[in-house]
Amino acid sequence: MRFAYYPGCVAQESGKELDLSTRYVCRALGIELVEFPNFSCCGSGFLDEANGLLNVALNARNLAIAERAGLDLLTICSTCQGMLTFANRRLERPEVKAKVDGALQPLGLAYSGRTKVTHLLRVLANEVGPDRLRSMVKRPLRGLKVAAFYGCHLLRPADELQSESAEEPHEFEDLIEALGATPVLYRGRVLCCGFPILFVKERTANRIAGRQIHDAKAHGADAMATPCPLCHISLDSFQNKAEREVGERLDMPVFHFPQLVGLALGASPEELGLPRHLVSTRSALEKLGSVAVPA
Amino acid sequence: MFAEEKLIPVPFDVYRFDPAQGGEPRYQHYELKLAPHTPVLSGLLKIRDEVDPTLALRYSCRSAICGSCAMLVNSKSRLACRTPVGPEVAKHGRVVIDPMRNQPVLRDLVVDQRGFWSNYRRIEPRLLLDPSRPMPEGRPTQMTPAQVDRFRETPRCIACASCYSACPAVEADPEFPGPMALAKLYRFVVDPRDGAHDERLRKVQLSGLWLCLRCHLCTEACPKDVRPSERIRDLKELAVRSQGATERGSRHAVGFLENIAEAGQLNEMKLVRQTDGLVGTVGQLGQGLRLARKKPELLKKPRTIDGVEEVRKLYEALQKDEEVPL
Ligand code: FES
Repeated sequence: MRFAYYPGCVAQESGKELDLSTRYVCRALGIELVEFPNFSCCGSGFLDEANGLLNVALNARNLAIAERAGLDLLTICSTCQGMLTFANRRLERPEVKAKVDGALQPLGLAYSGRTKVTHLLRVLANEVGPDRLRSMVKRPLRGLKVAAFYGCHLLRPADELQSESAEEPHEFEDLIEALGATPVLYRGRVLCCGFPILFVKERTANRIAGRQIHDAKAHGADAMATPCPLCHISLDSFQNKAEREVGERLDMPVFHFPQLVGLALGASPEELGLPRHLVSTRSALEKLGSVAVPA
Repeated sequence: MFAEEKLIPVPFDVYRFDPAQGGEPRYQHYELKLAPHTPVLSGLLKIRDEVDPTLALRYSCRSAICGSCAMLVNSKSRLACRTPVGPEVAKHGRVVIDPMRNQPVLRDLVVDQRGFWSNYRRIEPRLLLDPSRPMPEGRPTQMTPAQVDRFRETPRCIACASCYSACPAVEADPEFPGPMALAKLYRFVVDPRDGAHDERLRKVQLSGLWLCLRCHLCTEACPKDVRPSERIRDLKELAVRSQGATERGSRHAVGFLENIAEAGQLNEMKLVRQTDGLVGTVGQLGQGLRLARKKPELLKKPRTIDGVEEVRKLYEALQKDEEVPL
């Protein structure tokens, strides 16, 4: 398996642990990541609000770069996944395509619409598959109750993203189970983390994050896991503020999805960048027994 | 003639609560035998008419037109009159019925919709005519197909409030008017006959437009494919184009646009400054430093992507263009 690797902005900067753990997991599973230092930001949903056509064009450039290399594009962020797929959908409309083609042409770029956009979680769920993943697990995450948090743009709008079941997805839980952990089902797993308004009305965003973490905890989760680094910012980096909004101590470790896979494949917490989290993952690691917990 | 369908056992668990009687909400269990294609609503009416006359619920048309019968069927937003029991039983083994969310329960499945409707009235859901551009007398106004096409989805709305029930922004913040009101507002903002576009956009920016989370839960919940979240996106772009970056939300969106023109990827800390201004940024300092201890990248400039000049050329080519309906 070979992909044009699209890490997205956050995984290259403040969320480096996501990139680290992705590389570890892909090495272990034989997924080749081809790098393109010329990929730009996906617009993160914000650019779309300021100028929708420019957002599509920016992503058409990314898609064209992958197409020229004959590769499908691999994301590790629900929002990147959503934005790039959204661009593919909108480029199916002739009026949009004509405008974007006109802007790409002077750059010596053309995009025919062939690049498929897929997320690492989907590759593991559908191409590697839970069974093969299970057979590669070196350190089953036995005893760990994990609440999956999907991230809106991996799921919705379902028809645009061609995601099978937006209301009752199970691919993430299937993978958690394959890693030896116990998936926790709770309403919040398909809801919003609040990130899009974190800088618009912070307390409302914190409250939304806090409710989802509270929900996961009330259903017995030892940890949460997310395939989206923006959700990770809301749930981990701002958990202190979420606690203030919901008026309770949450202390919920939040893993990036590939960190959870990496742990089961035998990586050390340092190799996965776990010490970079704001909320310590110690309580979850201790449950696993076999992991050397960093000081 | 249709082949006679076999009846199947349909276990119902129905939310019951009467605040006037006090006590806790509970689920009441009913066992029915129904043909699999029977709508959930018909099952509930059978319960009310034949088993338990105290069950309160709203309905009218029984044809997915009036929008009265929205509720949660096995936790999903559904019109009860067009949701067959068979697939629910096949998937969940039973049919669990709850009232809609984000609206206080009056009794059983009947919720208080005053909040929903007052948000709707707040957007002034009627044509506001510009006196300097009177409607032509004695003949119909004309629109081009492209103009009509801009609101092909919104008139399908039956005001069932499924979107309002599903919306996490409504749940978390009373300032947010909800997806339905905003989708309706969009309909007037793109109507060429309406004379108050800019004023509508100015007002809605101050009353919660930028609290939409673009989580698309409303679009998923909508039984009529009105796609409110996509229309809210359109409203935001129209607001930026009409009013500029005047509010925190629009400052953040426009700041983002300018931010990635620089390096081709995001400068996270700079974005905070662009949205918050200097004073606001100082307020964020504590949290910023707390994060930077673990994530030192926040304090330095991000890498500039290769070919950033291509990104800038795209900006030059498209930024000044008129809005293109998406
Ligand atoms: S009863 Fe009218 S929409 Fe269902």
